[in-house]
Amino acid sequence: MRNAPQYPQAAAQNRTSRRTLYLACLALLFIGTAGVATQQASATTPTIRLFPTTVVEDLKQTGNVARDMETGLQEIIGRLDQQQELYQESKCDGAEDDSGCQRLARQIGQTYLEMLTVMDERLPDMEHTVNNTRQSLEKGLRNELGKKMTPWTLQETLIGGKADQTTTKAAPTLRGRSGMRLSERFNQYYQLVATSGAKGDQSLAVLASDIYLDMEETSILIQRTRQEIARATLMEQLNQSFGIITPEMIEVVGGVKSILFGDADSTTLVASPPPGSVEQAYRSPLEQ
Amino acid sequence: MIIQSIKKPLLLIAGFIIIAGILSACASNEPTCAGPQSKNLAKAIDTAQMSLASGCEAHFDRYFDDLLTIAEGDPKPENKRAFSEFLVWSSDQGLLSNRQAQEYYNRYFNVKFMSMKGDYNNCSHTCPNKQRVLFNMERELSDKERGLMKVSLDNDGYYRADQLFQEVELVLEATCTACAAGY
Repeated sequence: MRNAPQYPQAAAQNRTSRRTLYLACLALLFIGTAGVATQQASATTPTIRLFPTTVVEDLKQTGNVARDMETGLQEIIGRLDQQQELYQESKCDGAEDDSGCQRLARQIGQTYLEMLTVMDERLPDMEHTVNNTRQSLEKGLRNELGKKMTPWTLQETLIGGKADQTTTKAAPTLRGRSGMRLSERFNQYYQLVATSGAKGDQSLAVLASDIYLDMEETSILIQRTRQEIARATLMEQLNQSFGIITPEMIEVVGGVKSILFGDADSTTLVASPPPGSVEQAYRSPLEQ
Repeated sequence: MIIQSIKKPLLLIAGFIIIAGILSACASNEPTCAGPQSKNLAKAIDTAQMSLASGCEAHFDRYFDDLLTIAEGDPKPENKRAFSEFLVWSSDQGLLSNRQAQEYYNRYFNVKFMSMKGDYNNCSHTCPNKQRVLFNMERELSDKERGLMKVSLDNDGYYRADQLFQEVELVLEATCTACAAGY
């Protein structure tokens, strides 16, 4: 009974602390729910999957195969250049009947055949990896941009948010890659794709399209080259008996050099547009 | 007898005169629908609004074009708002549907392309009409050049639209090739 007057106070204290506990629990529950909702929202935000890991690996593989081919051909093409220089310095042009010149021409022909053989050996690997990359990208483009998107959503994906204005400008321009080594080109692709997580969907769509079209062209080029190699090898084997340098030989060597090692002269510079003068803040209610 | 014989032709002539009078009165009430003369965009918009509200709604395209030409003479970012308000007014007055007003505004003053719209997927809808879509986008780009750059001095906006056009061209080429390979 002595403690009787203390009961209501203790009960009130208990109620207060219990209420605080409820409030704290409710706050925690609210924060937790909000967190989960935010996570779900970001999870449901449509993201385009254009670069599965297989594409990244294929690009790396293609780059390696291209580098192997370059290494194999570099020495042979260097030798061919020296032999051609010697041929010209010896004034063999127009003196094809000269026995020394015929010997030089045969040596050039043999090196040329060597180049064709190396290419013939390496091109199937190259073709295989290029086709793998092309097919993976083709599937991604068809499903993600072709079937899952309307023209308007595609446009919205490409333009991204307003905050991406500077990102878009800073994005690397890939078109017009002449003047670049083949392996370097694939290496650049690989680097861009491997670090693509930090980029927005808009640059991914452009990047995937660019690589896909390039792979398509490369694939056709490889097919044609392989067909040509068989023909050129036969022709050169015939020419060997006469010791003749054909203009076709010089042309083919030039073509191979520009594809594999780039051709710096063909790089064109395009002027960039002048910067905008006024920051736009107005947004019309009609704007979509 | 003589009076009676003259009466008929006289009545006919009087009838013709009355009909001609009525017709000429009607003709003189028709609005002239002349374009706005002021070189000030706000005044020109007021004039255009008065004309459009008094029976010249059929000439909306011409009025809009005249207003763009006047705005080109005094380009500034605020012009965008003036055109937006004019189009909202036109929609409120029932001269344009809300969709038409949006079409007009976005065609001239937005980066996105109204000619690249559709409810179906790209493989089935855009790819079969790729050339036509790109041709229409190119035409829209020249309208954007007028609206964004020449009227509103929004060079950044125009260059973004130009870049978007180039990207759409590239992405559509790749996507449509991929779509075609899948069928």
